[in-house]
Amino acid sequence: MSQTMPAPAAHGGSDEVLVEVKGLHKSFGQLHVLKGVDFVVHRGEVVVLLGPSGSGKSTLLRCINSLEEAQQGTIRVGDVTVECGHWGRTYEKSVHGVRLQCGMVFQDFNLFPHKSVTENVVEAPLLVKGMKKDAAAKRARELLEQVGLSDRAEYYPSQISGGQKQRVAIARALAMDPKLMLFDEPTSALDPELIGEVLLVMKDLADAGMTMIVVTHEMGFARDVASRCIFMDEGVFVEEDSPENLFFHPRHERTKSFLRHILPKEGDNVERVAGGAPLGMGDEAPQEMK
Amino acid sequence: MKHRFVSIGVPLLAALLMVWALALAPAASAAGTPPKPVGSVPSSVGQSVSWGQGSVTVLYYAGTSPVVPAACELSINGDKVPVAQATDSSYANGRQLQFSFAADYQPPKGNLKLHAVLVTKSGEHVTYDWTYNNPGAAKPELLDWPTIRQFWWYIAKGGALTVELTVISICFAVVFALFGALGRLSRTMSFKEAWDKYRSWGFMALHTLRMIPYWIATFYTSLFRGTPLLLQIFVIYYAIPAIIDYMHARYSWFNIPYPSAFVSGCAALSLNYGAYLTEVFRAGIQAVPKGQTEAAWALGLSGGQTQRRIVLPQAFKIVIPAVGNDFIALIKDTSLVSTITVNELLHRAQLVGGRTLQFLSALLVAAAVYWILTIFFSFWQARLERRMEHDRARA
Ligand SMILES: Nc1ncnc2c1ncn2[C@@H]1O[C@H](COP(=O)(O)OP(=O)(O)O)[C@@H](O)[C@H]1O
Ligand SMILES: [Mg+2]
Repeated sequence: MSQTMPAPAAHGGSDEVLVEVKGLHKSFGQLHVLKGVDFVVHRGEVVVLLGPSGSGKSTLLRCINSLEEAQQGTIRVGDVTVECGHWGRTYEKSVHGVRLQCGMVFQDFNLFPHKSVTENVVEAPLLVKGMKKDAAAKRARELLEQVGLSDRAEYYPSQISGGQKQRVAIARALAMDPKLMLFDEPTSALDPELIGEVLLVMKDLADAGMTMIVVTHEMGFARDVASRCIFMDEGVFVEEDSPENLFFHPRHERTKSFLRHILPKEGDNVERVAGGAPLGMGDEAPQEMK
Repeated sequence: MKHRFVSIGVPLLAALLMVWALALAPAASAAGTPPKPVGSVPSSVGQSVSWGQGSVTVLYYAGTSPVVPAACELSINGDKVPVAQATDSSYANGRQLQFSFAADYQPPKGNLKLHAVLVTKSGEHVTYDWTYNNPGAAKPELLDWPTIRQFWWYIAKGGALTVELTVISICFAVVFALFGALGRLSRTMSFKEAWDKYRSWGFMALHTLRMIPYWIATFYTSLFRGTPLLLQIFVIYYAIPAIIDYMHARYSWFNIPYPSAFVSGCAALSLNYGAYLTEVFRAGIQAVPKGQTEAAWALGLSGGQTQRRIVLPQAFKIVIPAVGNDFIALIKDTSLVSTITVNELLHRAQLVGGRTLQFLSALLVAAAVYWILTIFFSFWQARLERRMEHDRARA
């Protein structure tokens, strides 16, 4: 993987701004969820979003690729800008343009249950990019190899474990060659022993220079992989800093109280990724169902 | 994959073969073959029964050896008739043997099976079998077996048309239901919500255009679920020729033939069942988790691609049991098109009933065939459902 992309300066990201969100407002009826969010993500950065439940992290991610329509603000990904609150051809084209550049990984996988692992991966390249069958299949094999699931290519989603499902979901998103990956709590639905294998794949992806926005409560992952952490509460960004600073020297009271609830005892989660143990990459199949 | 073919394809093939055989089988004569003399002498010309004189007469051609009247026997419905006297005489260019009943003998009433044995001097036995309807059955019978025996095959062959109507109608109904359901689901927001969203007249115009499929689908399901199926059958049967006449009178180029009763019946059945299945499909599509659509959108699939490739295949799996139920209900509802002269099961039973006045017998034959058909297809449906549950258990 690391050969396929130029290695960036240690997760720091380049100078190129890949994602630019300005003045984003989103309400569900009377409920004002995002209250003017502004931020930028540089190419190659890994941004971890933290915040209490209901603070609008998922909504923000879903607004970026227009799964939710924000009422106000602009979202730029690469050279495509979505003007929120507009409608019509141009708007729809820009939404499609953004979606083509974003891969998304959901908390509950959302694999297509009627398609095999390979079919899940090749579906979008075939339909959206009009890729040739052979080329798409070849790319799928590479991606499944990359996430350690070559031996599960012909299985159906019902026949593999949660961790394997999430790795397929990552491969499926990567198949569209996105510039940006959005992860919405990718390990929250997983049994603890399956979390490591998914985080490891994500870490590899980050090492290879992928730009990522990750909502997660895996503090170990955040500390190890993130170039920047953002603490979000009640629809606004409260604090934004390097993981070290945010975790160990938070400036805001809200951040402190949140971290008190969530931070693991010393070294707990950190070892999942940083420990360097072989974390179930394909050779083991936990919770196998037949 | 192979297994699935065995469980679904084989019963389907069997059903089609059955229908085919029923439709193509030559009409078997229930009346049986005409009686043939067993021996060479005497040979038959015919039989007659004349109750007035309390006798039964067998007409025959004389052979080389004369008949011995005293040795001859007659039985009715398998019971030997007490014969007071048998007389042999010449009749036209043949001969006749008259059995006169004993004085106290009353032949039974209704459809009789007669069996005569003529014995010649040289020891040959020649048998004659024929039937005769002795009118005015004294003891009323619930079922008239001779009618059933004679006409059951004729009635049962109507089952082929019943199955044909059912299969064609359910196919069209599924297509109508698919579009109906997509129409019903195309409404994403109310007019008020649409106005509040952008406060733009242009968007309101677009929204109104987008509502049209929803309105059409709502009108369709409401109309066909809100009126009786029988009435729909009549209206379509009579309305289409009327419309064709009306159009032709005004535009001479509009010149298409009237649809047959079969086509009208299929149209009514598919439209009606399509309306009911619309709701089934709507529920099926809604039962596909929202996350599936979102995952497809996030991958860049268009709305149409998402429906076709992701949502509908999963929705179809969900609705198969309900469609199976409606299929079985439809088998029975095809009987309604007998009212517009489609010659299916019930229509044939009614024809036979009218001709023989044995309505009960004829209708019970039809009932039995319907029952067999529904049992057959229920069995098949149950298998299909078990198979799908098995699939889901793996899911
Ligand atoms: N589709 C929706 N309709 C109405 N309210 C929603 C919807 N999605 C999210 N919300 C509300 O928006 C708020 C933020 O939700 P979310 O972004 O999912 O929070 P987080 O991911 O940070 O836990 C919550 O109060 C939630 O109830
Ligand atoms: Mg969330």
